[in-house]
Amino acid sequence: MSFEPKILGIACNWCTYTGADLAGTTRLHYPPNVRVVRVMCSSRINPSFIFRAFQLGADGVLVGGCHPGDCHYNTGNLYARRRLAVTKKILEFAGLEPGRFRVEWISASEGNKFAEVVQEFTAQIKELGPQQKLKIDELQEKA
Amino acid sequence: MTDFRQIENNLKKEAKRLLEAGEVAVVLAYGRGYDEKHPMPFAAKTIADVESLVFNEYCNFNMASYLMRYPWGTKIAIAAKAADSRAIIQLVQEEKVRREDLVILGIPAYGMKNQKTNEVVDSKTTGGLYNPVIYDILLGEEIHGQKIVSPYEVLAEYEAMDKEERWAFWKSQMDKCIRCYACRKACPMCYCDPCFIDQNKPRWADKAPQSPGNMMYHLTRFHHLAGRCIDCGECSRACPVDIPLYLFHKKVAKECEEMFGQAAGMKLEDKPVLVDFRVEDSDKILE
Repeated sequence: MSFEPKILGIACNWCTYTGADLAGTTRLHYPPNVRVVRVMCSSRINPSFIFRAFQLGADGVLVGGCHPGDCHYNTGNLYARRRLAVTKKILEFAGLEPGRFRVEWISASEGNKFAEVVQEFTAQIKELGPQQKLKIDELQEKA
Repeated sequence: MTDFRQIENNLKKEAKRLLEAGEVAVVLAYGRGYDEKHPMPFAAKTIADVESLVFNEYCNFNMASYLMRYPWGTKIAIAAKAADSRAIIQLVQEEKVRREDLVILGIPAYGMKNQKTNEVVDSKTTGGLYNPVIYDILLGEEIHGQKIVSPYEVLAEYEAMDKEERWAFWKSQMDKCIRCYACRKACPMCYCDPCFIDQNKPRWADKAPQSPGNMMYHLTRFHHLAGRCIDCGECSRACPVDIPLYLFHKKVAKECEEMFGQAAGMKLEDKPVLVDFRVEDSDKILE
């Protein structure tokens, strides 16, 4: 059986989630590997969400937010940008493949971009293979 | 070499003066431990306490972590070496203490030693500094002409590693962790109550000292200290199983400095980098 990656998508309510909706209503095809969680803003994302996702078996994490300057809350994604950049550096220095975590700015009108990003990211994760490093052995912890 | 005797005498003299004049309620400095090599953090509250103050090459503790134990507005005098003074600045930035409540007794020190290994703690582990960044009273002479090593130099070896190798390294280190939380206790920046790891809802990580929970605890702690770690190295000195936590903190500090152009705890008027932003921050940092 070929490897089907499990990808966590965290999408901001105002842009990326609406963009994903648009991708759906315009009947664009993209891989079903991304499980999208909706948050109100990309700055809502606690970096622990990302570490935890990897621990609970995600092969990749995709974060979507509004383009800088377009945040519904004016400045949310500007904070998120700095924070997630640090998250990325931490995962990289710990030894995780840097390609497993990605942040994209996708606006509500960019259904095409959403589909493209998901396609691209899924292909990339397929190439990287299953994420084994941070994943918890089920016998070790009952969450 | 720093004249530790002179600093100790000055410390006693200043502590006595401040307590006598009633300018401060407490002097946070170092006291006698069970031997010369093991001085202890000490809070002198009366003039009689002053005699117990010591300062020698093993006084590594970062006294800034004790600042928040006193009620808001308590006047405190604190002995601060180079890194400690940065911790104080960082705490002032985060509005945990007020600058006007503090009398900072600066200690320029060279030749401090690690209690466990007897290694000399040089500028590699004090953020490239020997002199306090901020002080009201300097207890010794400023140090000039000592060799300054970039604090990030030690990282080169680990940055050059292949990611698999680095993962294996960190995994083996984190597996040693016994979750005593000494790193958290020693850290002047770790003041959250409750700490995320003590929360039950959500329960971020397993509390048993096992690999996944350890990894979650440490990675999140590195993240929480991003742009705030002032590189005193107390976490790794406090660690009973000798995990080189300072390496990871240094790496994060280095990245923050490169990305946001500001080192932690250098200026009172700065804002910590992660509670601040610039519109012109580049998207490149996310690549």
